[in-house]
Amino acid sequence: MTRVGRWIRRFLEKPGSVDLAPFQRIAAEAAGREAEAGRRDELRPAVVDPAWVGTADFCAVMREAARRALGQRPYDVQLAGMLALLEGHVAQMATGEGKTLVGAMAAAGYALRGARVHVVSVNDYLARRDAEWMGPLYETLGLTAGWVAETSTPEERRKAYACDVTYAAVSELGFDVLRDRLCTDPAELVVPAPEVALVDEADSVLVDEARVPLVLAGAADAGTALPEMAALVRRLSRGYHYTIDEEGRAVFLTPKGIDTVEKALGVDIYEHPGVVTQVNLALHAHTLLTRDVDYIVRDGKVELVNTSRGRVAALQRWPDGLQAAVEAKEHLQASETGEILDSITVQGLVHRYPRVCGMTGTAVAVGEQLREFYDLSVVVVPPNRPCVRVDEPDRIFATAEDKEGALLDEIETRHATGQPILVGTLDVAESERLAEALAARGLSATVLNAKNDAEEAQIIARAGRRWALTVSTQMAGRGTDIRLGAGGPGEEEPGDEEEVASLGGLYVIGTGRHDSSRLDDQLRGRAGRQGDPGGSVFFVSGQDPLLTVYAPDQSLPPADADGAVRKPEAHALVAHAQRVAEGVNLEIHRNTWRYTRLLERQRAEVLEQRDRVLRGDTGARALESACPERYRELCETAGEEVVERAARQIVLYHLDQCWTEHLGFLSDLREGIHLRALGRLNPLDEFNREAVPAYRAMLDEVERRSRETFEKADVTRDLADQGLKRPTATWTYLVQDNPFGSEWDRVFNRVAGALRGRKR
Amino acid sequence: MLTAITRAFRTPDLRNKLLFTLGIIALFRLGSVLPTPGVNAQNVALCLDQAQAGDAGNIYGMVQLFSGGALLKLSVFALGIMPYITASIILQLLTVVIPRLEALKKEGQAGTAKITQYTRYLTIGLAVLQSTAFIALARSGQLFPSCKEQVLLSQEIFPLVTMVITMTAGTAVIMWLGELVTDRGVGNGMSILIFTQVIAVFPSELINIYRLSPFKFVVVMVVGVVMIGVVVFIEQAQRRIPVQYAKRMVGRRMYGGTSTYIPLKVNQAGIIPVIFASSLLYLPQLLVTLFGNSSQPNAVIEWLAQNMVRGDHPIYMAVFFLLIIFFTYFYVSITFNPPEVADNMKKYGGFIPGIRPGRPTAEYLNYVLTRLTAAGAPYLGVISLIPIIALAVAGASQNFPFGGTSILIMVGVGLDTVKQIESQLQQRNYEGFLR
Repeated sequence: MTRVGRWIRRFLEKPGSVDLAPFQRIAAEAAGREAEAGRRDELRPAVVDPAWVGTADFCAVMREAARRALGQRPYDVQLAGMLALLEGHVAQMATGEGKTLVGAMAAAGYALRGARVHVVSVNDYLARRDAEWMGPLYETLGLTAGWVAETSTPEERRKAYACDVTYAAVSELGFDVLRDRLCTDPAELVVPAPEVALVDEADSVLVDEARVPLVLAGAADAGTALPEMAALVRRLSRGYHYTIDEEGRAVFLTPKGIDTVEKALGVDIYEHPGVVTQVNLALHAHTLLTRDVDYIVRDGKVELVNTSRGRVAALQRWPDGLQAAVEAKEHLQASETGEILDSITVQGLVHRYPRVCGMTGTAVAVGEQLREFYDLSVVVVPPNRPCVRVDEPDRIFATAEDKEGALLDEIETRHATGQPILVGTLDVAESERLAEALAARGLSATVLNAKNDAEEAQIIARAGRRWALTVSTQMAGRGTDIRLGAGGPGEEEPGDEEEVASLGGLYVIGTGRHDSSRLDDQLRGRAGRQGDPGGSVFFVSGQDPLLTVYAPDQSLPPADADGAVRKPEAHALVAHAQRVAEGVNLEIHRNTWRYTRLLERQRAEVLEQRDRVLRGDTGARALESACPERYRELCETAGEEVVERAARQIVLYHLDQCWTEHLGFLSDLREGIHLRALGRLNPLDEFNREAVPAYRAMLDEVERRSRETFEKADVTRDLADQGLKRPTATWTYLVQDNPFGSEWDRVFNRVAGALRGRKR
Repeated sequence: MLTAITRAFRTPDLRNKLLFTLGIIALFRLGSVLPTPGVNAQNVALCLDQAQAGDAGNIYGMVQLFSGGALLKLSVFALGIMPYITASIILQLLTVVIPRLEALKKEGQAGTAKITQYTRYLTIGLAVLQSTAFIALARSGQLFPSCKEQVLLSQEIFPLVTMVITMTAGTAVIMWLGELVTDRGVGNGMSILIFTQVIAVFPSELINIYRLSPFKFVVVMVVGVVMIGVVVFIEQAQRRIPVQYAKRMVGRRMYGGTSTYIPLKVNQAGIIPVIFASSLLYLPQLLVTLFGNSSQPNAVIEWLAQNMVRGDHPIYMAVFFLLIIFFTYFYVSITFNPPEVADNMKKYGGFIPGIRPGRPTAEYLNYVLTRLTAAGAPYLGVISLIPIIALAVAGASQNFPFGGTSILIMVGVGLDTVKQIESQLQQRNYEGFLR
């Protein structure tokens, strides 16, 4: 029955349906060749036949290499997972099953086939840790491995990328790709052509962070915020002159406020768009951004605080004049404004690679998205030992107070037994609040909130000890597994593993369900690794954002006397709210993808042209045919070589400049494109219909400006005076597609509204 | 446009999509003329000719239009896409009433997929109902009341059940074909299939007219082409209200002028008002058919029979025209809610230059929309009346092919599909200075 079921699922290409059996067969076969492989002196064959990679003999060699280099003998399931990666799938493997080793073996396999492999990590700490940890394995096989971190110099980066296998955080990889597109000399390039990407934590990189644009911004002109504007908005008062929306994200002037502003400025502001922008920016800076919360002032400069991570983002700047408005508010000298030179989404970055594979603990839930957006299939690799963790049903409470009380009681009673507890919170503020509440009850908890990856990995590794009580956010300590009774890596001390196991193992408590069930599963997955005992439970209240935002018009059934809601409808409602949240996020992802697809294609084309100009004489040939007389004249006076170099500089400069302007145009277009839906037009089609002619116009503009410069420029002098601006900042943004709903939605909403209105 | 199509055929994957769509259309037409087993095709053809000569075909007017004549031919695809359209409308309405459906709808794609699944089940249910009713009509001879021939080969239950099953399966296949076009072809599958059915009747009807009188044929063709031209022109006409988003600093040089605007169409309501108005005008006809034969004729029914049944009667035309105008305003007012649009713009920092955000913006939008609709509503009315007037003037052919509804559907779907092809085509034709 189950076999038939699996067969049907595979036929319908349901996620998680790629059959593991052939991989398992090969992996099992490897056992017979193990002894023979152990006798070889040199594990790497003199000549590597690409077809050999993926055979049973290859598995045996990998097993032997891991044993020699790391002292670990990979299990059959690990070899099967490696084979799945070599086939270009996403392998789902539970926490603690040795994903790092699987990834390294697969990377080595690709490298032996002759491909350059980029192992994409979630953060710098993991990139470095994994590269150093797996280094000996690669050495044994005669391969080299390197890593890139935020602090690496261009020279270090080039060296790392020259290795067979390079470990890098996804953001570093993206920034390197972006920075490369500003080079004016082939020798300055850092990233080689993309070949194979092996993505660690594939679901969070490819799905959760896929729509995050990595932005390369450069300094443009000085900001123009007027101090008078800041002084003017300071006189306005909330409620009378302006209102702030419920989410605290936008501020608008009331009619009274408009009257006051217009009187003060003496103009009708809506006739002068520039003035409206100035007023709005000043108002935004004045009302929505708070000193020492959103930013700090240091050495006469405004520095942003990244609220989700709670630390200062030194290089980041606000976009579009907001920075200058904040500086005016703080009476500081205006610094230069940022201009987006180029941006790439994580998804666009991954799409550059002809071959992509990945591994994660939770892939099946996003299997359909992986197939839709990346054409990847999921392979479920079973754990080496079955999971015996007990996942208890959610405990649901009517109010946040009842929930917190019950949560603290639960922690207190559990902690009294000595069982290690890991509490997962939804954000930094909550984890700090919870730690304070615990301290008030005399319990001291270790708090982690993704501020320092390396330090936190050490702490979380110790979270499985007896009496351990750890409060952590989702982001903190990713990629490190929690062993019962163990110390951190490098702290070899006799663990009291059995004792902790007899207490029930690690107990995971979630203080609220996440926006997706996958994130819940990741948190649960911290307990019960490799067949350890463990348990998990989530505490939910009717006042959690999940319920208030995604199921606002439904309420929980009445609570019992102790504040807990035990009706089955409550569980159904929580599950519904979570599905709504997942649906909303998927829709945003799909929209971003649809709108960036054309952009990615245009970028690829521009980059391809840029590359030809950079490495060859395309620029010179284009200018030669565009203005032959000038070209001949210059060649006679300055020599062909000088002219070619100058032509390259000129064309590159204008290409970059026009691309930046084109991006600006596209983001303006994107911002207002949803209005087209009101005229029964499809916003996406309309976007493409406008973006394509704009792209053509851009190419014409490059030609026009290049010719103009070429006609005037003195090629013997240094052209870099008008040089390119270096990147100074990164930031992200998002826009909604059709907030009005489809035409039918609108009709039915009106009808439904009318019906309900009458009922009341 | 022709160059666009030749270019489209030169782009391999677009060519495949177009050929795929054409293939589906051919299959669809084949099923629409293929008689259901158990039907006496010769007698059906005979009866159809008789019906066209008389005015009995009129009863099924709208259904015939959407089935491309397949309905009365009792073909495999006789029911066309109407069951699917009806099912989607019913489910849309039910989402307002049934909380479980509302919850599903909110859950995004996964929920919508489930609703689509329910729509399919309901379509099958409706198809069973309709085909049964339809075959019962055919069996009792009521399908062609004026025709004495027997249209079915057998009256026994087993062949009849086979016919019901065949037609229901046909409906399911149509649904699948439509989804295939949406997935792998060009345009929206359901619209393309409606389009196919609407224009499918043109050739035979034009030939009929030609046989009657070549002069009339020329007149019909000229009127038809002029009307299509006018409809294309007006359907494209829009008033663009510029919108400025104030978050960004202005002054950045851009090519191509402003591209952020609200496009308000002259015909903002589309085709729905015409469909509403014609559906409503079937009511008098229905009343007359139901009560007209009683021995003591009611005064109201009698008046209706005199003034509201014949399409060429001035009162009928006037009522039709007024209904269209009323429904146009009504439909525009429920699909375009100026205060909501103004609120949304304000929320994202947008404004119309020279106009304050909030209420003044809503009032301005309302003002522009009302004046545009003042032109759009009579346009819809006139386009719908032209065939009826032509009918009255020519006095003969019942089936003037360029009916208002047909032309509006044809042009609407045609324009959307061509735009989509263009948008896909443009993405892959880059040439430039650095070749």
